[in-house]
Amino acid sequence: MTRRKFIQKLIKTGSVFVTGTWFARVGATLCGCPEGRHTGLPLPRKFVRAFRVKKYPGYLRPLQDISKQSKWSG
Amino acid sequence: MCLIEPGQSGECRVRINIDGVLRTVVYGFPCSVNPYDPVEKKPLFHFLPGTRILSVATVGCNLHCLNCQNWEISQKNPEESTAAFLPPERLVQLAKRNRYLSIAYTYSEPIIFYEYTYDTAKLARKEGIRNVLVTAGYINPQPWKELLEYIDAANIDLKFISDDLYRRICSGTLKPVQNALVLAKASGILVEVTNLVIPTLNDKPEQIRELARWLKTNLGRETPLHFSGFYPQHKMRHLPPTSLKTLEMAREIAISEGLDYVYIGNVRSNEGENTYCPGCKGLLIERKGYTILQNRLKEGCCPDCSQEIYGVWK
Repeated sequence: MTRRKFIQKLIKTGSVFVTGTWFARVGATLCGCPEGRHTGLPLPRKFVRAFRVKKYPGYLRPLQDISKQSKWSG
Repeated sequence: MCLIEPGQSGECRVRINIDGVLRTVVYGFPCSVNPYDPVEKKPLFHFLPGTRILSVATVGCNLHCLNCQNWEISQKNPEESTAAFLPPERLVQLAKRNRYLSIAYTYSEPIIFYEYTYDTAKLARKEGIRNVLVTAGYINPQPWKELLEYIDAANIDLKFISDDLYRRICSGTLKPVQNALVLAKASGILVEVTNLVIPTLNDKPEQIRELARWLKTNLGRETPLHFSGFYPQHKMRHLPPTSLKTLEMAREIAISEGLDYVYIGNVRSNEGENTYCPGCKGLLIERKGYTILQNRLKEGCCPDCSQEIYGVWK
């Protein structure tokens, strides 16, 4: 193998290594952090909108007259 | 983020995995609807002063602060609570009929009734009603940016400048809150910040200084900061209430660090309730509690030196 061919091969190997590392990092970021609160497993980065339920799980009361001040005032 | 197993709820108690689908059990079911709050009570001192704001909240919160002042609703399970049925359309009609200029999503934590807040805010915007968030800001960037499109003003807690205290006291972390603050300011909405000063935890001068510096560097000197007095509540009944002296010390430090508008809340204070011009130091808005005694602003500017004052004044 000539010196030129050796250097070319070295550059090629180096590029493959660098590119492969970059793809691995990107892949880890897409799959990864932060960890789940309960399991410690990596979580998907996706905003999930919640659907509403029809029935309230607690007690329902009619909306009171809003001309009267309620308990929660800040 | 919470990873929720089927049949379980997230940390907030109100978002549940039912058969693989994420559901919110509080959408349209507020536990509190308050018509009487002045906007200054949020606290918002630079947003439509002297007006009433229709305030709404559901149970739940994604933080568990040991000192929570609203723990009776924020740390409540929905199945143990009482609520009214008030879907977004009816809430907006209620605000419109009673001529409210704005609606506040407040008390507990609007982030956990996100969809209800978002849908109501969108409808309210169409009717010319403004939207205010009072939040701890513990939210990821993507949903936060989407929600901010329909928000006009926010009071966001910066509870501590220490990640360790966020973890120990609130079961949260600092970074998401700081990111939320920066994003909110960058979005162009009016932002005011509240720091609850808790004796022995975050009342040291160096902590106040660090917080004020962070605020000035990342949000700008014009961002109003409210130092709020703590009262023993929930799991922190062993601590004393914050003294006026401590709050005044905090205010002085924050002003010396270059912040233009620093207020004292939850405790009566003469100077700490008023707005002064950062230019000529003239009195602009005089308050007694939440009542405006006089408002000297002219088209949002100081009447004496014409300095533009940060805020939404009409």
